Amino acid sequence: MSAIESGLQATSAGLRPRTSGQVTHIRPSRGLFDLGLPSIWRYRGLLATLVKRDVLVLYRQAALGAAWAVIQPVLSVAIFTFIFGRVAKLPTTGGAPYPVFAFAAVLPWTYFSECVRRGALGLVTEAELIRKVYFPRLLIPLSAAIAPLVDLAIGCVVLLAVMLLYGVAPTWRLLALPPLALVAGLLGLSVALWLGPINVRFRDVKHTLPFMLQIWMYASPVVYAFSMIPDRWKPLYALNPMVGVIEGFRWAVLGAGRPDLGAMAIGTGVFLALLGGGLVFFRRMERSFADLI
Amino acid sequence: MDELAIRAEGLGKRYRIAAPGAWHDSLRDALTDAVATFGRRSGRAREFWALRDASFEVRRGESVGIIGLNGAGKSTLLKVLSQIVTPTTGAATVTGRLGALLEVGTGFHQELTGRENAFLYGSILGMSRAEVSRKFDQIVDFAEIEEFIDTPVKRYSSGMYVRLAFAVAAHLDPDILLLDEVLAVGDFSFQNKCLNFARSLEARGATTLFVSHNMFSIKTLCPRVIYLRRGQIAFDGPTEEGLRLYEADQPLQAPAWFQQQEDAPIEFTAVELLGMDGAPRSMFDFGERMRVRIAYRARRSVRRPNFMVAVTRADNVLCCNFSTMTDGVEIASVEGAGVVEMTTPPLRLTSDSYVTTVLVRENRFDAILQAQFGGRFQVRHPLFERVGFGVYHEPADWRVDPAGALETRIRA
Repeated sequence: MSAIESGLQATSAGLRPRTSGQVTHIRPSRGLFDLGLPSIWRYRGLLATLVKRDVLVLYRQAALGAAWAVIQPVLSVAIFTFIFGRVAKLPTTGGAPYPVFAFAAVLPWTYFSECVRRGALGLVTEAELIRKVYFPRLLIPLSAAIAPLVDLAIGCVVLLAVMLLYGVAPTWRLLALPPLALVAGLLGLSVALWLGPINVRFRDVKHTLPFMLQIWMYASPVVYAFSMIPDRWKPLYALNPMVGVIEGFRWAVLGAGRPDLGAMAIGTGVFLALLGGGLVFFRRMERSFADLI
Repeated sequence: MDELAIRAEGLGKRYRIAAPGAWHDSLRDALTDAVATFGRRSGRAREFWALRDASFEVRRGESVGIIGLNGAGKSTLLKVLSQIVTPTTGAATVTGRLGALLEVGTGFHQELTGRENAFLYGSILGMSRAEVSRKFDQIVDFAEIEEFIDTPVKRYSSGMYVRLAFAVAAHLDPDILLLDEVLAVGDFSFQNKCLNFARSLEARGATTLFVSHNMFSIKTLCPRVIYLRRGQIAFDGPTEEGLRLYEADQPLQAPAWFQQQEDAPIEFTAVELLGMDGAPRSMFDFGERMRVRIAYRARRSVRRPNFMVAVTRADNVLCCNFSTMTDGVEIASVEGAGVVEMTTPPLRLTSDSYVTTVLVRENRFDAILQAQFGGRFQVRHPLFERVGFGVYHEPADWRVDPAGALETRIRA
């Protein structure tokens, strides 16, 4: 090809209708296990923006701003310490100071319940967006699980301060916190994957959720120790996957007790079933969101 | 050049419209209903095809207008193509990056600043952060809101809000753009800006699908139209022909702003535009009078009805509105079938195309009971056109005094 020819081609290429070569197929049905994960990757920019928006908005209008991330867990722990530590005198793992014992559980619990709450209600909150713009709907519970990580991170700094205040020395076990937080987040996400689509159809979820989360909290070892559960009930109790996460947090923070491997295995099984089933369920329901909301 | 941007085959979207009471917004309703209808089919839901059997192809670089009355399936088609809703039947292949602008400013967050919202909205529309950063100055420039860019959008005026949203969207630069009626917002100068934007897209070789009720912009932007009627493609071809078909279908229809009731107390059975000789006409010379004959049927007694005839120019400018009440015609009540006839004063409207809308209100100026397009007509005059002469022309009284005597008299 001569230089002139290629020059001509270059000019005409500038005028020719453009295409990015991206091909989208639109059809009524899709495989049951087609989870559309590549499209999540393609929309990662939007995911980042949604997370950033949620974090910004959360504290923009509050007078105390980000201080709430500190105040909330500190207040809950103070109340628990008074009622369950002082009045009820519940024993703690390895005799650790009750505030540290409670704080180590309140942090993952708060993070988990925020993931569930925001993820389950998010689809309806973003109804306008869902009706007018296309994006993988999975981004909504996903961003709901990422945004509260900021609170969790701030909470961890406070936790460290509380540990030092009560003379609990940090150990290398604290390195287990990030993977445990990941499990808590994924767990919150899986529950949201189930509740979100149900909430689109039946708004009852919104009213039920606060009670559900409260009952769930008391069914988890937040204010009391896992060791208080009678041995024969432990396998049943361990069906609650938050048991493993919270006990893991305590193990990492207090340096006392040993994770119950049997309970963790049961919890992991339930967790994987919730997550896998949740993904399939969500993808299946996602198709009708714009019609129903 | 005949590469396809969009290829749709037999696209259909079915909705189930629930009969009153059949929609469960709470689990309790669903349960009670399930118990009540246990063992037999509920049968309360009605099926409705918002879009049916739509097959068409759009080549790269083409601009296609999508026209049709409200509820004809225009928006559904765009929603299916942009993947917001899933089709019930059929399939479509879209080649290239697709941008859909179904509403300007969806996803704006009130608490965030203009800058933050520009990034948020950009990524909602499918732009990367880097892309928005690169075009940020242009966006702010286009929106003309430089000094307010770091102010929360809740403090914006609605004009600023729309301008910012549109500025972001205008820099999306997709291969295929779906536009739904978005050019209809904002003031006149803003609409012009939008129209120029749509033209520039065409110049850059983008494929556009453009839904509008504004036939004027359809005519200027699209050589081809797809006309949807009750969810089906009634016509696909040259714009002139499509618009003719569309306009021919119009007279029986209610205007877009009027919510037609299933059993309105009164309805119009026929509306005719006649010349002074009583023969149906659609072309009037400037200065001629027009007779509008309205046949109605009232299902119940309508007290003190006020019949009105509005004349709207092709570009949606309401030119005048005649009413029995303002012209001092009192009607005690009507019931059953009847006819109302009105004769206009000599038409002084400039040479253009007009639509009549007939309305009836109850009790002088109470609720509008019925509204309907009453047909189109043209006014003809060799000189008086919209451009240069405005809405109407009446001769004025002039005095010309070259010597300046008039001015002196006024001073004195």
